[in-house]
Amino acid sequence: MEIIYQLIQSTYLGMTVLLIVALGGLLAERSGVTNIALEGIMIFGAFIGVWGIKIFERYLSRPSILLMIMIVLLILILLITILPEYRYLKKKHSTDKEWKEFKIASVIKVSIAAVVLLISILLTMVVPNIATNPQTILQSKTQMILIMGLTVGGLIGGLFSMIHAYASIYLKANQVISATALNLFAPAFAVFTARILQGGQQISFMSNFMINKVPLLGDIPLIGDIFFKRNYLSFYFSIGLLILLSILIYKSKFGLRLRACGENPHAADSLGINIYRLRFKAVTLSGVLAGIGGVSFVISTSTEFNVTVAGFGFLAIAVLIFGNWSPKGIVLAALFFGFMRTIASSFSIIPFLNRLGAPAEIYNMIPFIATLIILGFFSKNSRAPKALGQVYDQGKR
Amino acid sequence: MNYKVEMNDITKKFGSLVANDQVTLKVKPGEIHALLGENGAGKSTLMSILFGLYIAEKGEILIDGKKVSIQNPNDANLLGIGMVHQHFKLVETFTVLDNIILGVEETSKGLINYDHAVEKLTLLIKTYHLNVDLNAFIKDITVGQQQRVEILKMLYRDSDIMIFDEPTAVLTPQEIIELIHIMQNFAKEGKTIIVITHKLNEIKAVADRCTVLRRGKCIGTVNVKDVTIEQLAEMMVGREVSFSVDKPEIQAGSTLFTIDHLTVKGRGRHAVTNLSLQVNSNEIVGIAGIDGNGQTELIHAITGLLPIESGKVTLNNIDITRMPIRQKYEKGMSHIPEDRQKHGIILDFDLQSNLVLQNYYQPHFQKMRFLKFKNIQKYAEELIERFDIRSERGSKTSVRQMSGGNQQKAILGREISRNHNVLIAVQPTRGLDVGAIEYIHQRLIEERNSGRGVLLVSLEIEEIMNLSDRILVMYEGEIVGELDPKKTNINELGLYMSGAKRGTTHA
Amino acid sequence: MRKPLKCPLVLKNIIDKIRSVFKIIFSFIWKILKKVLIVIRPSLIAIAVGLLIGLIIMLIFNPYDAFPALMTLILGGFNGGLKGIGETLELAAPIMLTGLAVAFAFKTGLFNIGASGQMMMGAYVAIHVGVRWTLPSGLHWIVALLLGMTAGAVWGLVPGILKALRNVNEVVSSIMMNYIAGYLLIFLIQRNVFLELEARSRYVQSTAVLPSLQSVFPGSSANIGILITMVVIIIAHIIIHKTTLGFSLRAAGFSFDGSKYAGMNTKLNIVIAMTLSGMFAGLAGAISFLVRGKAINTAFVIFSQGFDGISVALLGLGEPIGALIAGLFLANLRMGGFYMQLYSYVPQIIDIIVAVIIYATAISIAIQALLKHYGERLGVFYRNRIRDPLRVFYKKRIRDPFSQCIKKRREKKLSKKEAKS
Repeated sequence: MEIIYQLIQSTYLGMTVLLIVALGGLLAERSGVTNIALEGIMIFGAFIGVWGIKIFERYLSRPSILLMIMIVLLILILLITILPEYRYLKKKHSTDKEWKEFKIASVIKVSIAAVVLLISILLTMVVPNIATNPQTILQSKTQMILIMGLTVGGLIGGLFSMIHAYASIYLKANQVISATALNLFAPAFAVFTARILQGGQQISFMSNFMINKVPLLGDIPLIGDIFFKRNYLSFYFSIGLLILLSILIYKSKFGLRLRACGENPHAADSLGINIYRLRFKAVTLSGVLAGIGGVSFVISTSTEFNVTVAGFGFLAIAVLIFGNWSPKGIVLAALFFGFMRTIASSFSIIPFLNRLGAPAEIYNMIPFIATLIILGFFSKNSRAPKALGQVYDQGKR
Repeated sequence: MNYKVEMNDITKKFGSLVANDQVTLKVKPGEIHALLGENGAGKSTLMSILFGLYIAEKGEILIDGKKVSIQNPNDANLLGIGMVHQHFKLVETFTVLDNIILGVEETSKGLINYDHAVEKLTLLIKTYHLNVDLNAFIKDITVGQQQRVEILKMLYRDSDIMIFDEPTAVLTPQEIIELIHIMQNFAKEGKTIIVITHKLNEIKAVADRCTVLRRGKCIGTVNVKDVTIEQLAEMMVGREVSFSVDKPEIQAGSTLFTIDHLTVKGRGRHAVTNLSLQVNSNEIVGIAGIDGNGQTELIHAITGLLPIESGKVTLNNIDITRMPIRQKYEKGMSHIPEDRQKHGIILDFDLQSNLVLQNYYQPHFQKMRFLKFKNIQKYAEELIERFDIRSERGSKTSVRQMSGGNQQKAILGREISRNHNVLIAVQPTRGLDVGAIEYIHQRLIEERNSGRGVLLVSLEIEEIMNLSDRILVMYEGEIVGELDPKKTNINELGLYMSGAKRGTTHA
Repeated sequence: MRKPLKCPLVLKNIIDKIRSVFKIIFSFIWKILKKVLIVIRPSLIAIAVGLLIGLIIMLIFNPYDAFPALMTLILGGFNGGLKGIGETLELAAPIMLTGLAVAFAFKTGLFNIGASGQMMMGAYVAIHVGVRWTLPSGLHWIVALLLGMTAGAVWGLVPGILKALRNVNEVVSSIMMNYIAGYLLIFLIQRNVFLELEARSRYVQSTAVLPSLQSVFPGSSANIGILITMVVIIIAHIIIHKTTLGFSLRAAGFSFDGSKYAGMNTKLNIVIAMTLSGMFAGLAGAISFLVRGKAINTAFVIFSQGFDGISVALLGLGEPIGALIAGLFLANLRMGGFYMQLYSYVPQIIDIIVAVIIYATAISIAIQALLKHYGERLGVFYRNRIRDPLRVFYKKRIRDPFSQCIKKRREKKLSKKEAKS
């Protein structure tokens, strides 16, 4: 029984990262822009994010400083998301309805930030003051650092992906080429900067971010063992993200327009939707998620970042295609991959497989071979967005 | 005189091509105004400027006497301008409802709220008899219904000025009459209608006034009641146009090509069901029908671009049903495809490569797999001469830079010059100017006169009537009637095409 | 007043004729050069931009060393004399081939991101033959090369078949094949050619090592791999542009529907293209490791040369010959990076420069438009302020000696005539 729980928890590790990044890729591709730069963005986001974690660790003893840094980050994010929109609307002489929607959207964003702020205050100020168990205090502050690290990773990932977004959307560049450029740049930059600033290229940190048991929910008999023990914050984030994105893509105005851009941009354009802005936003969002995914990858694998994300960026693309460009498919595909990787790395503790005596590499290969086989069967009915990968040029209306 | 819409001295260039050259258009409120011109005259460009898809280099636009600036479709919408495009701008995987509200969605609590939209649309559907299922997916509804969706898009946005771009291309004659009634109703309510078309008799039927464009320039504006169709045609083309085609009487010969109980799978149901026909030498068999009734699938199946579910196709008594496409060509088939840019030519190849597209592997053009460029060039130059294919740098021109008419002439020349005795021509004159159309019609007649058999598929009823020796009407994947062009008329054809009438069993 | 030169008319005629011959030759060369330059202009601009950004980064970190470092960078292998050039060539051969592999697939409209995996398989098979087979020395490396190519071809065949028959996206399947190759490599090495003590494959026998080019590039480890590479690239170029196969591959790459209409066997084309592409990458792997004293470690790796191949193919504008030149250029740059270590810059600066170059290639259209706009302004400035005044200045001073001469003669003749009459 224990073994099964261990397998499940190990599956989460692989699944979480793939889920987050693949959902990001979904946003970009559904809007019509291929994004094979996810690997590079993950590396870049992980690099800066993990560096951030390393710096934040120094302030574990002074949680108020952590709080201040978090506030600065939140304000930055709010500025980046709200200001450009404001200036755009002002320039455009837009309608009252658009202003109203903008106000509502801004309120939503500010309230999300406020919620995050609240949680941060909880973790840094409140819990240490009321907790008796030092473990709990430590956990709460550690998780705070993780949240901050994820935020930084996401922020940087978004900014980095803007380079690809700008080139492929506004400058009409070949999307594959500009994405490859990012993939090449990120590790090079990471090694370069790391070596200059600290001599070696690995960035190590100290904390272990695993949550041993979620306070109340972990005690529920069966579900608690499966979902709420020995897990990472990023897992819960990924599930929340899944739900949020499913609603966003299929039921919100943004989602409708997003899908329209990916299926028939000419139609959307003739109805006055700004294809360029929408795609830019989508690709940037995918970068944010890739950055978060990168940080998640590092913290769930080891305590150091060694300029690699083990190809998860590309695997996420495979998950996206495998999942037939829908959130449901993606979560199943991510689950499958995570599970296969688990089998590969822990076959020695499964008595049945251990007796087979096959070498480790075979198990490592299984997820990839399985993907090939399954793709072979299912690619006939691909439901890719129709306008995927095509450069949209307003001049050619 | 207060004009609703005024476009004065509009000039629009695309690189070196002047699409609109100081064009002036004035439309009165509540009138139906036709914009007439050949393909490439600049009508679509002009209306795209009005709708905000393009921005003119020079000129001004006035709505209700006030100067306005239309930078994008949103501005146009705010001014009450709506457009039904020739190629529908609909998202296939969305429902009708989603397509209509796209861009003007109402939201509550961050999610889309459909209630008000459904209310308004139900009312509009009832008022204007534009029946369509709001929850159906675009890919599942017919073309006529899709057009109604486009019209509803305009009505939903309270459009005052409605632009129709070649609206009748995809309709049966009966549906055209319905559309004319709808337009006249709109006009009675005071809405201003601009119709882009090149169909002269429709202008006569519905329009009040007509502005004629030729090669980017405005030729003039006339009251439709005061001119004849011939005068309009002359304004459109610049010279006298003959509407008849010289076709000598020839007895049809032996059977060259047969299709036997052909069934082809389509989207959902069968696109072609149990269809049989034959083409003899010395005859042109014309297949008439509204777009979307299986013609495309029929031709793609017999030429090998789509798989055949059941049935038999024979050419010169050889069974070519399952043959690879290359062998079909070798056995005597020639094919002028419906979509010349997608299938007919490789846009990024040069002209001479395109002219040997199907026979580059033959001994004359290659030795030991190495291409003999000299021979290819010679052959290309022969064809260029014979078929008057105009291009910048002769046989080395990149085909992408050639005009549509010359591209089609190249395809025609290539298909005719090969060894063949059956020519399958689909929409051979689509998008071409009158000169090119006349030329191609002539060559098709020559083909027929010289002993070959031609299977002609066209959406232009007049073309079918003028060229065919026998007309077969296709409806919903079946042949529903065989008519003699000398004995039938457009109305009767229309009835067959809309499925209202069926001939005696045509197996 | 200068003394006029003596100018016999005969000499002037000869000089004129030589002049005109030169003019013809020059204009001919200039025409071809212009055509070539127009075509490769985007790449040149991209390279310039990349180097510029690299220079700026170097200036930021260490302004004093920046320019000499940049010179070292650009000189690349030439820094080390013949030895350096030899090393550059050895470094260049694999990425020229992977670049060829990617470019070849590009021509057919396919994106072969699996060049790494194909290269790894080729490398393994070559090592296997080199370690475990015994063959006479002239034959051994040839057989190893051929079998390595075959292995790469097989590895490219799989994504090709999957795409042709089952419409599987070749990007995803190639990525999968890369990972499978990575693990398979470890597995096979450990089974067959393992040197457990050092966790690597064994060195190949000396009979299997590619003949060296030490005589030409003393001190380096250059071998005939580079020559083989160039020959293969030229063959690929001929295939693509001069044969019927190339015709149908290019047709499929430009317009898949068009090639289908024309009766070409599109499925076969896809398979052939991917197989040949894999073959080239496999050759890259074989050439890399049929070298004295080189081995593969048994840690999971996906060779980076596959991704370099993508950069090379893009820089080379998707043409085999382009891959040749771009591969040499990239290798030269990398060697420059190696030599640049003397300057306390981290060698990763090279990768950054390459990344920027690739990015610049992507937006080259925009950059070209920008340059045109500003270039026009600069050109007008140049013309009005610099070139024309210069011309006026020169005209006053320098005279064509022969026209002087002719003037004098004419004057003399006139005066003689006048004297006579």
